[in-house]
Amino acid sequence: MSAAVPQKVFDDYRVLPDEVLKPGQPRVEKFLQAMRKSLQQKENWTFWLPYILSLDTCMKCGTCAEVCPVYQATGRREIYHPVFRADMLRKIYKRYFTLPGRLFPWLVGAEDLTEEKLDALAESVYRCTICRRCSYVCPVAIDNGVIVREARKILDEIGIAPGELKEKGTRLQLKVGNATGMPTAAFLDMVEFLEDEIEETRGYRIKIPVDKEGAEYLLMHNAGDYLAFAETVMGAAEVMHAAGVDWTLNSPNTGINDAVNYGVFYSDVEFSAVIKAHVETARKLGIKKLVVGECGHAFEALKYLILRLIPPEERPFEVLSILELEDRWLREGRLKVDPQKNPEPVTFHDSCKLGRLGGMFEEPRRILKACCPDFREMTPNREMSLCCGGGSGFAIMEKGGFLKFRMETYGRLKAEQLKATGASIVACACSNCKAQFREIINYHRLPMRYAGVSELLANALVR
Amino acid sequence: MDLGYLIAAIMPYVAVAFFVFGLGYKIIYWSKAPVNLHWELFPYPHTVSEQLKEMLTEVFTLRSLYLFNRKFWLPSLMMHYGIYLVVTWLVVLLLGFPFAPYLGMLGGVLALAGSFSLLLLRLFIDEVRKISVPVEYFNLIFIFLLALSSLFTGFLADFQVRFYLLSLFTLKPALSIVTNYHVPLLLLELFLIYVPFTRMAHFAVKFFTYHKIKWGELH
Repeated sequence: MSAAVPQKVFDDYRVLPDEVLKPGQPRVEKFLQAMRKSLQQKENWTFWLPYILSLDTCMKCGTCAEVCPVYQATGRREIYHPVFRADMLRKIYKRYFTLPGRLFPWLVGAEDLTEEKLDALAESVYRCTICRRCSYVCPVAIDNGVIVREARKILDEIGIAPGELKEKGTRLQLKVGNATGMPTAAFLDMVEFLEDEIEETRGYRIKIPVDKEGAEYLLMHNAGDYLAFAETVMGAAEVMHAAGVDWTLNSPNTGINDAVNYGVFYSDVEFSAVIKAHVETARKLGIKKLVVGECGHAFEALKYLILRLIPPEERPFEVLSILELEDRWLREGRLKVDPQKNPEPVTFHDSCKLGRLGGMFEEPRRILKACCPDFREMTPNREMSLCCGGGSGFAIMEKGGFLKFRMETYGRLKAEQLKATGASIVACACSNCKAQFREIINYHRLPMRYAGVSELLANALVR
Repeated sequence: MDLGYLIAAIMPYVAVAFFVFGLGYKIIYWSKAPVNLHWELFPYPHTVSEQLKEMLTEVFTLRSLYLFNRKFWLPSLMMHYGIYLVVTWLVVLLLGFPFAPYLGMLGGVLALAGSFSLLLLRLFIDEVRKISVPVEYFNLIFIFLLALSSLFTGFLADFQVRFYLLSLFTLKPALSIVTNYHVPLLLLELFLIYVPFTRMAHFAVKFFTYHKIKWGELH
């Protein structure tokens, strides 16, 4: 086990260790400067409108709290109320950046920022996965998620960001091509190993193309999948092979070979740097379609967030989720499946980023219904799906007892939901969700396993 | 200058100017905001008719509250219908429909009951009280007092108010009509001045949060 949990600053967890949070050092002034910048249209155009409207217009009706997984799972603890969290930033906004807050702080709930409040805020914004379930139901469409993300951005500006997301995340990815730190030689070995594995399991060998220039499809996975969820990578390769399309994976040799973009979780600067590197890699390879593997936030970034950041002429390729392709090929009859090969009851978890934020509701269901005879819906699902608790970087964050937080809040609700389905497999199409399910199944001792959608599809393929 | 003259002859213009220009300024300010990155929530309505249907359903049934926060639904519905009816009262009164006072009184009663019950909910539900600051109570009390004084003085029930309102258009306010209504009139004027600069302007904000953000793909 690691060293003792550092001093409490918000609740029983400390996801930001002392060397990151630097409690006791003066940071308030820097925070206020960074916040001032975040409130300026030109400096922060990417999310200015939702940010400002959300800061200004919350009616305090508490509807958000009724659907917040953390608030519900903790027995409605005040500090986990979505408005309590948003108000931690809102109070600062009012006090320093609005006239009523300067003149009548007591009336509008404006408060001075102290170093202690800054500590608490920094931890608090890492208790919300920005699943935006609350925003979906808000009568005024106020977005607590955007407030949390903006607070994370401000904190990153003053040097406070989880190492898992920054040094070992975006920084590492930009340096070596992927956030797992895997160099080209190891990557190529890994691909060969996967070819062997497929041969061993299926009895036939397929060639997995790598770095093929001008290919129709560049399939980019979350690089963590090669290490943690290789079945998904193999499944996708089998599907591409069975579809008979011109496709390729890419190695770090070509630039970025990891679909993830942790900037989505905490920084527009990092987000923008990573997505530009993605685009450059795809252009260099001259591919026609960039296929995002089973990774929720990567899909959100490359499919939607990219659109107004990079002009269309600078990204001469289409972006698709692997789910879209698999669904299309199944319906076209390009892929033939025998559902009896997956006889176990299967349920599907709607990843927030793919579903509520990505609109990918029906594709995975059609795929699963085609290749699993006993498909069962979880309740609630689709746009009201409960976040599993792996979102916004949580799946790779464990410091300061954080795994327990993940398991006892989001994880507990999800475990109850999973149990109620009676399924023995939970399918999902997002690496962060899979990493969270791996822990949930273990922690809550569920008699089931998780599987990638591509894995189940590949298992049902008929040659 | 006496206070009555100020309230009945000058303030109406000031209040309407504040309301129109204040709200107009804000709406233009938000419209000119840089277009944010795509941040939609799915599913969302795509066509204009689907969007209208969803927006009108929300405005007239407060569906989000009904589905997810039921205890706030009826009080909130009452207060909103009270406000909708008072706005309708103003229009039909100006148009000269004799039933206008009934609409006005019904609106006033609903706004009174709605704001009062919302105030009670905010005061007595522990977790809502904890996220409330004084301005939340202030806004509800404001609406409550406005509704109360409008009903108590008979302002909403008096068809003669029509002639006062019409006289405002000719810049020769018929002051004698509203001698007994200075309190509700003043509160209404202050309310109009206050609304654009507070989150009570959420009826305008909703256009942006829904059309530009939550449903933003089309724009």
